[in-house]
Amino acid sequence: MNEQIDPALLRGLTQSRYDRRDIVKMFGALGAGAALAACGVTGKKAAPAQQSDVRKYWAGKTKGGHVDFANWPLYMDPKHPELKKFTQQTGISVTYSEVIQDNPSWFAKIQPQLAAGQSINYDLMVVTNGIVFTELVELGFLAPLDHAKLPNFTKNAGVQYKTESYDPGNVYSIPWASGMTGIAYNSKYITTPPTSMADLWNPKYKGKVGMMAEPEELGNFGLIALGVNPETSTPDDWTKAAAKLKSQRDQGLVRKYYDQDYIKALSSGDTWISMAWSGDIFQQNLAEHTQLKFIIPQEGATIWTDNMMIPKTAAHPVDAITLMDFFYDPAIAASLTEYINYVTAVPGAQQVIQSAAAQASGSDKKTLEQVAASSLVFPAAADYAKLKHFPAFKTNQEKQQYLSLIQPITQS
Amino acid sequence: MTEIQDATPAVHTDTLPAIELVGLVKSFTSHGEVVQAVKGIDMKIAEGEFFSMLGPSGCGKTTTMRMIAGFDEPTAGEVYLHGGNVVGVPPNKRDVNMVFQSYALFPHMSVAENVAFGLKRKGVAKEEVTRRVGEMLEIVGLTGREKRRPKELSGGQQQRVALARALVNNPRALLLDEPLAALDLKLRQAMQVELKRIQREVGITFVFVTHDQGEALTMSDRIAVMNDGLVDQLGSPREIYEHPASKFVAGFIGTSNLFSGTVSEVVGAEAVISYGPDERLVIQVSTGQVRVGSEIELTVRPEKIVISIEAPHGNGSAVKGTVTEVVYLGTATNYNVKTSTGADVVVFTQNATSAGDIAVRGDSIWLSWEPRHSYVIGA
Amino acid sequence: MSARLRARLAPYALLLPGGLWLTIFFVVPLVAMLSLSLQQGDVVSGFSMTWHWQNFTDGISKYHNQIIRSLWYGGLSTVLQIVIGYPVAYWIAFRGGNRKSFFLFLLLLPFFVSFVLRTISWQFFLSDNGILLGPLKNIGLVSEHFHILATPYAVVGGLTYNYLPFMVLPLYVALERVDNRVVEAAHDLYANRVQTFRKVVFPLTLPGVFAGVLISFVPAAADYVNASILGGTQNTMIGNIIQNEYLINQTYPEASALSFTLMAVLLVGIFIYARALGTEEVLEAAAQ
Ligand SMILES: Nc1ncnc2c1ncn2[C@@H]1O[C@H](COP(=O)(O)OP(=O)(O)OP(=O)(O)O)[C@@H](O)[C@H]1O
Ligand SMILES: [Mg+2]
Repeated sequence: MNEQIDPALLRGLTQSRYDRRDIVKMFGALGAGAALAACGVTGKKAAPAQQSDVRKYWAGKTKGGHVDFANWPLYMDPKHPELKKFTQQTGISVTYSEVIQDNPSWFAKIQPQLAAGQSINYDLMVVTNGIVFTELVELGFLAPLDHAKLPNFTKNAGVQYKTESYDPGNVYSIPWASGMTGIAYNSKYITTPPTSMADLWNPKYKGKVGMMAEPEELGNFGLIALGVNPETSTPDDWTKAAAKLKSQRDQGLVRKYYDQDYIKALSSGDTWISMAWSGDIFQQNLAEHTQLKFIIPQEGATIWTDNMMIPKTAAHPVDAITLMDFFYDPAIAASLTEYINYVTAVPGAQQVIQSAAAQASGSDKKTLEQVAASSLVFPAAADYAKLKHFPAFKTNQEKQQYLSLIQPITQS
Repeated sequence: MTEIQDATPAVHTDTLPAIELVGLVKSFTSHGEVVQAVKGIDMKIAEGEFFSMLGPSGCGKTTTMRMIAGFDEPTAGEVYLHGGNVVGVPPNKRDVNMVFQSYALFPHMSVAENVAFGLKRKGVAKEEVTRRVGEMLEIVGLTGREKRRPKELSGGQQQRVALARALVNNPRALLLDEPLAALDLKLRQAMQVELKRIQREVGITFVFVTHDQGEALTMSDRIAVMNDGLVDQLGSPREIYEHPASKFVAGFIGTSNLFSGTVSEVVGAEAVISYGPDERLVIQVSTGQVRVGSEIELTVRPEKIVISIEAPHGNGSAVKGTVTEVVYLGTATNYNVKTSTGADVVVFTQNATSAGDIAVRGDSIWLSWEPRHSYVIGA
Repeated sequence: MSARLRARLAPYALLLPGGLWLTIFFVVPLVAMLSLSLQQGDVVSGFSMTWHWQNFTDGISKYHNQIIRSLWYGGLSTVLQIVIGYPVAYWIAFRGGNRKSFFLFLLLLPFFVSFVLRTISWQFFLSDNGILLGPLKNIGLVSEHFHILATPYAVVGGLTYNYLPFMVLPLYVALERVDNRVVEAAHDLYANRVQTFRKVVFPLTLPGVFAGVLISFVPAAADYVNASILGGTQNTMIGNIIQNEYLINQTYPEASALSFTLMAVLLVGIFIYARALGTEEVLEAAAQ
């Protein structure tokens, strides 16, 4: 380990975002499924929220003095300095629980109560954009947000975070943190930097290409390689993307379809080039002095966002929305970013960190400078232009169709 | 009581012994401590002999047996089978077979398969195996039970399978380690007769381990009485019973009454210990065995002693005593007597002639026996 | 209640706690799963019972390759476990002396670490340029492109390693129970070491082999961790599929149907195996 790195920072760095999901997935998967199965699943599709729904929901709701916050592990400094500040300023206490390990099992856990109109005992939770998020929206499980209560967000959020296709106009959610999925390579084995998706299909790297097992991530790359934007892709495109990915596999190019372990494979040389998450690469290099490089290929890459949202049955929605907005204070956003090292939705945080770096000294200074300068934490405008969003499935049939095309590639 | 074998066994002692042990020693190390289980045994077991090793639990009988069979190698000394030194030869290459204390039948095989096991290993032809197994099962009386599993048999039947399994191989010697210990008294007595019959029939040397002295006395041609890793006495059942060579043997074989005292007179082949005017012990001795003034110990078997109310005549031993207990046993009566010299004596009287008890508890009586019935121990 | 009636009901009352336990923890979930496996729908619009047996046939036709592969990997690893585990158990049981517990403890030591982490450590160990293959490649013993990870061998090896204790422990117990005097009896009856093993020791430990095969084959065939950590692109086992159906796709009926199919296949396999080996013999021997 590098002594020059702030230990508090390292705690957040040594474990990648996906790690915590998948390890738990390994253990908890079937249990959660079985629990859900035993309870039975009933669903009811809800109509999209209108302005009148917002008024109706928030009418008569008042401050309760407390928030129960469900988040992912290692997504906040364990000392919770930001929450302490929040309580100081507002008098609202916060119970912070790291109970979300991955989206589907979280959904499985809360679904029965939400369907029954009962409280899940959390007022605020963080879910990634994607299938589960869409399901939560479609089932009408989320409270429509009153933007009058989100002044910081309105003022400080990056513009691209206000027009996300999975929740345009932030009707139900605002971002917690984002990350990019692009290409990483090990510069020990690859000396000419790859620039394009085509490099994942390069026969030179036969058996040394790492692809992700997650069907949405994998499908996205097939689509982008074909020049299709996943967000607006059609079933036709999916078929073509599947064929492209299948040929990649059948030519023996792909070493394996990885979950969280792609980063280890890339570091050890088991793979030379791989699909990768931006934060992981940054953290891995910091933690183990690996020479991994992350690029956004010329065809583009994807961005995903973990979002804060309020379950409709929450007991303290006013306190929850107050806290959501609090995180959009640039100083608070900067403080969070220093710890978690993923992309923040508050561009102003970069400046805060820069000035903090200017005042700091020694190893603190160096780390802060690194964070402030990293295009993986604060992507440049040109990078943002190349970032694409995940497909937004309109119906469950669509989702199943997509899965039935992409999954057979990884599951043979 | 036990029927005692005749002193002269039908053994050809001039031919090569079937088994010869020379200076046999075995020590074990357990928990860092060295235990000498066998401390130096020399013995010759003749061809065709029914030879018993008798001794209390832990005296080294099994250990000796295991060295003969080849399961344990001696720490020192030699084992000869028919003249050949077999130290270092594995059990499967020694032409002796063992009947285990617990039978050790193969639980997954039928009776017939158990018995056929050794023959098959020796590569005997199939038909011959079948024939000999059949014959052997007939000898041990298990015909018709060939297909049974060991656990479907009674204890006595299992015992006979174990015997058949060993005997069918026609070994030069058969080692039997307390083969009857697990059986109840009735069955045990029946099997004793059976074993003896079988031994006579097949004519193989039997080395029989037991800690039951009655069993050893009934069945054996010769007995080695073992104690604490050593052979205390080796001889015919009669020799051992009537002339115990040590206090241990005397005490171990049957019931013995022990006396001790100082020799006051030696006349020819008789030594006398005098306690008073009428009380004395007269012992048969060989020339030069004891001198006047020697401290000696002697034994008398309980059935040799006569109880009388009147002072006995004759010049044998005579001691006064008081009856402390009378135990009626049906065919016989036991009297416990405390002598005037302080010794506790057991007297065993056949009830053949007497109509009632000779004496009752508390009676003062005389004990008497002939000189030839008492022996000096360990001299 | 009359005393007589009470006496007649008593045995059933005694069954109650155990029966209740079984019902709550076994029957209810199983029935719920079975019911789910015959339903149709999705998470959003809900699932409803339509007696959709097609869930089963679809699952089999889509994933029969993975089912067969799972049986094959599971079976192969079980055989390897016997081949490796038997000598180990034998050595501990007969040569372990008074350190038997210590050796068993050593054997089990790695298994105090979580299953997943243990498997991941193999990933590290077998890495293409890792501590095993790196030096071999440096001295030119194996070619530059040689790799163990992401192959069927790695998956089967991982399964073998991970379920080895499930094999060794029953084997050890069975070997421990072999009466040494029976072994000596065989030696005494002219059997050499090999014959003694083949004719006496091995047959007597068959119940242990049977138990070991049962409790290691079933989880090995249903495993999903090894394939996902050590496997490559074409080593997916049915456990991975089921896991995906539940978690990623949230197609609970299909997942339930596949689980039941796997269960049925394993049960049939066990039944055939028990028949082939002769359950009665095994149970009989086990009873001793
Ligand atoms: N393997 C061994 N390790 C250590 N000590 C042993 C071993 N085998 C026997 N002994 C010891 O050697 C002595 C003699 O044992 P052995 O089994 O020969 O007695 P035994 O005469 O057959 O007794 P029993 O009549 O009870 O069967 C005992 O003190 C016993 O504890
Ligand atoms: Mg013994």
